[in-house]
Amino acid sequence: MIRSKSLSSKIFDIVLIVILCSIALTCILPLWYTLAVSLSSKSAAAAGIITLWPVDFNLTSYQQLLNDTQFFKSFWISIQRVVLGAGLNFIIVPLMAYPLSKTVKDFRGRNVIMWTVIFTMLFNGGLIPLYLTIQELNLMNSVWALVLVGGAQTIVFNIILTINFFRNLPKSLEEAALVDGAGPWYILFKLFIPLSIPVLATVTLFSIVYHWNEFLYGLIFMTREEFYPLQTYIQQLVVSVDPSQMTEDQYKRLSEMSNRTLDAAKIFIAMIPVLVVYPFLQRYFIHGITLGSVKE
Amino acid sequence: MKAKGFAKHYYLMMLPGFVWLFIFSIIPMFGIIIAFQDFNPGQGVFNSEFVGLETFKYMFQLNDTPVIFFNTMFIAIMKIIGNLIVPLLFALMLHELRYIGLKRSIQTIVYLPHFLSWVILGGVLLDIFAYQGPINQLLGVFGLKPILFFGRADLFPFLIVGSDVWKEFGFNTIIYLAALTGINPALYEASGIDGASRMRMLWHITLPGIRTTAVLLAVLGLGNVLNAGFDQIFNLYNPLVYSTGDIIDTWVYRTGLLNLQYELATAVGLLKSVAGFILISVSYYLAYKFTNYRIF
Amino acid sequence: MKVKGKIFALLILLFLLLLAACSDDAGTNEESEGTDEETTTEETTSDEDADPFGAYEEAITIAIGQEVDPTDTSLEEGETPLNNKYVNHVKENLNINVEHAFTASPSNYDQKVSLAIASNDLPDAMIVGPVELRQMVEADQLADLTQVYEDYASPAIKEIIDSTGGVALDNVTFDGKIMAIPNSQASADGIHNMWIRKDWLDKLGLEPPTTIEELKEVARAFVEEDPDGNGEDDTIGLAGPDTSNKLYANFLESTNNLYGFDGIFSAHHAYPGYWIEGEGGDPVYGSTLPETKEALATLRDMYAEGLIDKEMGVREDSGESVISGKTGMFSGPFWMPYGPITDAVTENPEANWQSYAVPLDENGEYTPHLSTPTSSYVVVRKGYEHPEAPMKMLNNLFAHESEFDHMEGGGGPGHYPLRLVYAPADEMEVTTVAMREVLAGTKEPEDFYDMPAYKLIKNDVDTVFDAKLEPYDNMDIEHWDITSTSFTRAYSALVGTAPQVDTEVKGVPSLIYSQTESMEDRWVNLKKLEDEIFLKIIMGTEPLDSFDQFVDDWKQQGGDQITEEVAEVVN
Repeated sequence: MIRSKSLSSKIFDIVLIVILCSIALTCILPLWYTLAVSLSSKSAAAAGIITLWPVDFNLTSYQQLLNDTQFFKSFWISIQRVVLGAGLNFIIVPLMAYPLSKTVKDFRGRNVIMWTVIFTMLFNGGLIPLYLTIQELNLMNSVWALVLVGGAQTIVFNIILTINFFRNLPKSLEEAALVDGAGPWYILFKLFIPLSIPVLATVTLFSIVYHWNEFLYGLIFMTREEFYPLQTYIQQLVVSVDPSQMTEDQYKRLSEMSNRTLDAAKIFIAMIPVLVVYPFLQRYFIHGITLGSVKE
Repeated sequence: MKAKGFAKHYYLMMLPGFVWLFIFSIIPMFGIIIAFQDFNPGQGVFNSEFVGLETFKYMFQLNDTPVIFFNTMFIAIMKIIGNLIVPLLFALMLHELRYIGLKRSIQTIVYLPHFLSWVILGGVLLDIFAYQGPINQLLGVFGLKPILFFGRADLFPFLIVGSDVWKEFGFNTIIYLAALTGINPALYEASGIDGASRMRMLWHITLPGIRTTAVLLAVLGLGNVLNAGFDQIFNLYNPLVYSTGDIIDTWVYRTGLLNLQYELATAVGLLKSVAGFILISVSYYLAYKFTNYRIF
Repeated sequence: MKVKGKIFALLILLFLLLLAACSDDAGTNEESEGTDEETTTEETTSDEDADPFGAYEEAITIAIGQEVDPTDTSLEEGETPLNNKYVNHVKENLNINVEHAFTASPSNYDQKVSLAIASNDLPDAMIVGPVELRQMVEADQLADLTQVYEDYASPAIKEIIDSTGGVALDNVTFDGKIMAIPNSQASADGIHNMWIRKDWLDKLGLEPPTTIEELKEVARAFVEEDPDGNGEDDTIGLAGPDTSNKLYANFLESTNNLYGFDGIFSAHHAYPGYWIEGEGGDPVYGSTLPETKEALATLRDMYAEGLIDKEMGVREDSGESVISGKTGMFSGPFWMPYGPITDAVTENPEANWQSYAVPLDENGEYTPHLSTPTSSYVVVRKGYEHPEAPMKMLNNLFAHESEFDHMEGGGGPGHYPLRLVYAPADEMEVTTVAMREVLAGTKEPEDFYDMPAYKLIKNDVDTVFDAKLEPYDNMDIEHWDITSTSFTRAYSALVGTAPQVDTEVKGVPSLIYSQTESMEDRWVNLKKLEDEIFLKIIMGTEPLDSFDQFVDDWKQQGGDQITEEVAEVVN
């Protein structure tokens, strides 16, 4: 650093730090607040007097959560979905991206296929035909419905990102391999994939996050709650119901449960896997995105 | 190149992925014909009576149609702008920060919201912006009257845009930061010796250094003009804000799945797909023209 | 090379198309099987002797769609929605194995029903509303239950359905055929009285309001005079609807609207959402009439003055502020103790919630709107082998419902598969009078034992002394044992139902309670137009005169056509 350490520069630094830290704080506080609610008493939560610290600190909601077997079932389904979904994504993405990273000169069918693939990302027939398809394939209530439908809709973006990364790899590497008589499979697996760890880690992270966070397909393709993934399970707790359609005893049960602290506890626990995973993959995805997207 | 006979290997590589996309994205597109039918579930998609463009005529008579298209574009365009500018400003500030450890920590923290689902953040935001929630308590400290944030149709689009920018700005910073690191440090050193102030360096070195990135991102944003964010709005809206907050995707969901108007929902969905396809094609063309960059 | 590549791609495509074609074939096969079954089964059912309560000799299976509340805790340890005493009861008494084709939480049930209809992949039986019923009849997806109803409905159920004066059967009859089994509910669910914190009235030295003006004064006092005495300006005069409720009940959903403004509208003789007789005798839609505009003006003023909950329409649950003791008045049916009130008095035993037949109209009369006697229907899939099985299950439920309630300690048989509510129209009013007579000592509990259609009355008169403390004619909360298990039920009857027993109800019904044909396409959008503009008028974001624009829009966008159809149906 050759920059001068003048007084104005120091003030500038301090102001900068204050601004940046307060912005960063806004990203933490909402989660902190949720934690505080989950650790407060039910009546304090209903009265809305909690700010940043639990009121009537207690662990009741977490004890209740431990007795909720469906929460853990759904948690497990989400884990399965993430492992299968991200695994499949990891295998298919480079296989699709490598040929499509070629120019039309090298691979004549490239543009037609590319546009077909893009087309699948943009057009859809709506949820009902999708539902019919899944039914015909006997995938209702299967975690594969979530893996395959959700995956098909997100993989295209991941392929595009990877194509861009592949294109930016030095041409000389592939040319040298070709001179040595290497085939396409060898080039992909021994040359491209080892060099593409950042982008593959990135698309894997995207896939993990997508499959963990997606809730709508669980609602559509699962006919019973026992098959719901975690976010679907949470979503149906947080959305409102229509009491005009209910009988009085149903309503009674509902009002007994209206339980913000327990909801907050569930929300907080559902965040934890993401909180654990992403900092580890951070250094990869920064590389993956930037190399994959723009080269000045 | 010299890749003779590689094409069949390329097809083979793409086979699994293509089969996947075909079954789960292309086959369900047959449902588009529902838009041209008087769909009778008893007779199914292939035997219902065709009514030509009747549904589309009805669609254009509806008060809702222009409203949801306007809402969608208004929210989406605001989001695109916000997601271009806020991360840019944040990246510039972060770039100026000279304490590497602090810089890393802030970065890690601001990525966090990007990885959380709208199911979870929706629950958290509704709590925080509730009438008796912490934000209104804070307003009360300054003697302001509490505001019914998520019930005000005039505020809703801005809350949606604001919360989306908040969720994504950290993550969107990555690309700018990469472009910033790509600027030749020698330029700064030279101007430092010339006695240029930090603001001058910002203006004359930093900003021109990332101009291409900014232009490219703006152009790519065009493809998203019809995607205002189903997950987010679905988890945050209520009937009070339908007039400004109901977007194409949420409207299609309600119309098709809750009100049993299958034809109308499909027709509107189709219109959106066609318009989206055109927009993507235009942005592809513009990106190529302005920055000589091929997205896919 | 290039040609080869193209051929290869073509081959893949062909292969995939073949795959797709195969799966389509499978689909059509299934359907044709279904129709085969249908023809054979119709014969077998007519051969059997029709016994409404008879068990099947060989166990049969029925796959139903069932609403299951994820937060429900009423099942005992080890029980599941599919394995509990109700399902076992059906198995033991009727030899029917119940399976779940799907389950869904209350908020997602409609979506699942819709997907089942759209994909023509129906459960053997399920419960639907009027909109779905019409759609399914049109798609020819339902079994004709005319014969089933004739032969299998138990006399008790037939009696109750007949007590609706033919309305219940009219709603499910299409082209002279009964296509579904209707329910029948007590009319008390459709009368929305005003619940008021009497302890707050007393504290502030106020009388219970009768007119709208007095109601406004009470609301103002509740907001401004710190009735909860905590020194903070945090109380709500009149609660407003939350996200799951409506401004007012309408002809399609005419019961159980919580925290709405039904009473304020009807005191203006305004019946928005209802089809009523216009001046010339032809049907008109209440939302388009000048009375509705007047009522909106009143509500708009009340909202502007802060008398109505500022957070109306956005709250997830307006009951929360009732429980936490911030709300002074809200509108709701008699059973609100099953809602927030029991919780509210548990939190604060002084919260003396009483129910009043207010506000009254300018003649001092109580003129609420009345509900439909039926709103949900059991439908049976066309082609199901045992179309009479659901009817038998309902017979069985009705015959044993009071036992179930005993077993539950008050919770009710919510987990009974295909549960429809069957109640005589005056069920609650009769119960309230009976309980009062027993309390007063003018009658003995035994006098009410032999009333099979009133299935809970025996239990009610037997347990009334558990919950009600002396003096028996004072209903204030301090004279109750709120910890008693029969408190909720007894309080609903003696306090919640009291207004319509003690006041002459000059109720207004809707001319129809189901959809007409063009409503199917247009109603949702018209309804939305109405809901939005009314909310905005009340909340002050649109001028009052935008009501006139609404009326024009409504008429143009299909309202006129629908009105003609309604006239046809009614005349």
